[in-house]
Amino acid sequence: MSAPLSHEPPSRDSVTTIRSDGSRPFVYPADAHGRFATARQFSAYALIAFYLSLPWIKVNGYPAVFLDVANRRFHLFGITLAAQDLWLLFFVITGLGFSLFFITSLLGRIWCGWACPQTVFLDHVYRRIERWVEGDAVERRALQAAPMSANKFFKLTLKHGLYVLVSAIITHLFLAYYVSLPEVWGMVRAAPAEHWSAFAFIFVATFGLYFNFAWFREQLCIVICPYGRIQSALIDDHSLVIGYDATRGEPRGKVGTTGVGDCIACNRCVQVCPTGIDIRQGLQMECIGCTACIDACDDIMTKLKRPAGLIRYDSQKAFTGGRTRWLRPRTFLYGLLLLVGASVATWALSTVRPANFGVTRMTGGPYVIDAGSVRNQFLVRIVNKRNEPARFLVRLEDVPKTVRKIGFEEVLEVGPLGEVVQPLVLQQARGAYTGPFHFEVRVEDAAGRFHLERAVEFLGPEARLLREEEEEKHRHERERH
Amino acid sequence: MKPVLPPTGEESLRPHSYDGIQEYDKRLPNWWLYTLYATIIFWVGYWSYYEWFGAGRTGPQVVNAAMASIEAERLASAPVDDSSLWKMSQNTAIVSAGKAVFDANCSACHLVSMRGKSESPVAIGPDLTDQKWVNGGRPTEVYNLITKGVLTKGMPTWGPVLGAKKISDVTAYVMSRHKEGDPILVETPPPTP
Repeated sequence: MSAPLSHEPPSRDSVTTIRSDGSRPFVYPADAHGRFATARQFSAYALIAFYLSLPWIKVNGYPAVFLDVANRRFHLFGITLAAQDLWLLFFVITGLGFSLFFITSLLGRIWCGWACPQTVFLDHVYRRIERWVEGDAVERRALQAAPMSANKFFKLTLKHGLYVLVSAIITHLFLAYYVSLPEVWGMVRAAPAEHWSAFAFIFVATFGLYFNFAWFREQLCIVICPYGRIQSALIDDHSLVIGYDATRGEPRGKVGTTGVGDCIACNRCVQVCPTGIDIRQGLQMECIGCTACIDACDDIMTKLKRPAGLIRYDSQKAFTGGRTRWLRPRTFLYGLLLLVGASVATWALSTVRPANFGVTRMTGGPYVIDAGSVRNQFLVRIVNKRNEPARFLVRLEDVPKTVRKIGFEEVLEVGPLGEVVQPLVLQQARGAYTGPFHFEVRVEDAAGRFHLERAVEFLGPEARLLREEEEEKHRHERERH
Repeated sequence: MKPVLPPTGEESLRPHSYDGIQEYDKRLPNWWLYTLYATIIFWVGYWSYYEWFGAGRTGPQVVNAAMASIEAERLASAPVDDSSLWKMSQNTAIVSAGKAVFDANCSACHLVSMRGKSESPVAIGPDLTDQKWVNGGRPTEVYNLITKGVLTKGMPTWGPVLGAKKISDVTAYVMSRHKEGDPILVETPPPTP
């Protein structure tokens, strides 16, 4: 039953996949079958289908996810964001951060094992190709060790050819997130020189994916991924992890011997581990929570007619005889942060309108005084984020009746995804002027669907100074006559 | 669970200890080291290319070249001398483009009729159709005035807002209401209060 391992027996003192001379033993994990393997396979295919279908599904006339970098318009599930809405990214990133905190404190590395693209594509696409071409773990190692032959050459070529093909497909669909499918298709049919930057992107990204999934694999999770490191600060003894029930399993011993635990030391859990660890040595940073060891051990336990779950999802506390507490200060705090983040993000997204506008003062002095009046001059920039023409009204709020508004007398039409900059002048007669005041510029959709406001200040000298100057001028005139 | 024993080779344990946590001195993965070596080799090539041989252009050089090409394009697309502006003022396509720019940006003060204060005493800008010019009436003077503005009088700097093309269009539109050779009466601006 116990096939030899492809690497040295794992220990907690070193990373299995980095030898003491720095070289990397390639892990050949054995197949694990069971309820978790099946469930993970379903969820992985659903995720792959979801990710790959996003550029094909249209919402409000745009692909569900279309980050149109060239036009600086970002279409997300029917909402169109412009570069001006970039501040929302703050909430997206903090929101993701808080969700990660919350989920990790409750469920450990559930993301790594079930949803991370690295695991999803590696386990359910690339390893499957490998299994199909080269056979099971034993056969794969034998093939690796065998001298080059026509058969080995054929299998390696087929495997790596398929790897490159799959990588290229993933990269093209990934590019479609940024330039839309028809455009990708157009570029694919044109000569590389015509779109050399897109071509270079595809080339480099395909190579990167191929290298990662063909060779690099678990090294990304162990050495590069920052989330793998952060999690040790996020989980505690009550978080859900995959572990080995030492109280039930130890001491290990063959079937039939008395005074031994349930673990028969078959090493099946080590053989199936894609990162080459022994889960019986406790929670380790290499564990990506892939559940392979659970399925492997359950399989053995079932065959021995012993209860399953010697290796299972449970908390560190429960493995050492305690009770898992789901409600802890940490889950409350993370939950609260998540709630606050989610509410602010919802509010922020609800403020996004299909147009944007800004009011800036024209160059020169902040205000102009001429013979009869004080005036402020602004430039109003209106950006239409829709792909159809839009009509706007520009109105002023909280402005004294004595102020004259010049500009934007009529409905303004802005073309699809267009932008219009026009002057807006506010003029007040010297006599009516009583000093600076605050007012609001309001841009209204002509159809009444939405409106946007900006608070602006009408600037000018102190009214008293202006009056004194006026009186002095009159005195001068009187003296002259 | 079995306690984790320190490794047999004590020398591999680093001497420091923080909160009772000690670390081993393990070798870095080779792929990591090779990546480091590759970046060092890349650095040598990069440094020689830019610093030693001076083959590549530095940041300021790239910026200056880009600015020069923008400047060249602007000069090429906007031949601003009196005769070309007069010629443009007779081109209906340019004049109608200029009218669009005028109506959107200038009519707020100078009115759509271009007659400003002559049409309405409350208008902000002066009449542009008469022969009195506050700041000079030759086409290039008008062009430069629109570009730079008269900040004390409230005429904004339109150069960065409109760009050379639109300014020459709008100059052509203004000049289309005049004739080459018309008298230019320079009106002394009223003293600024």
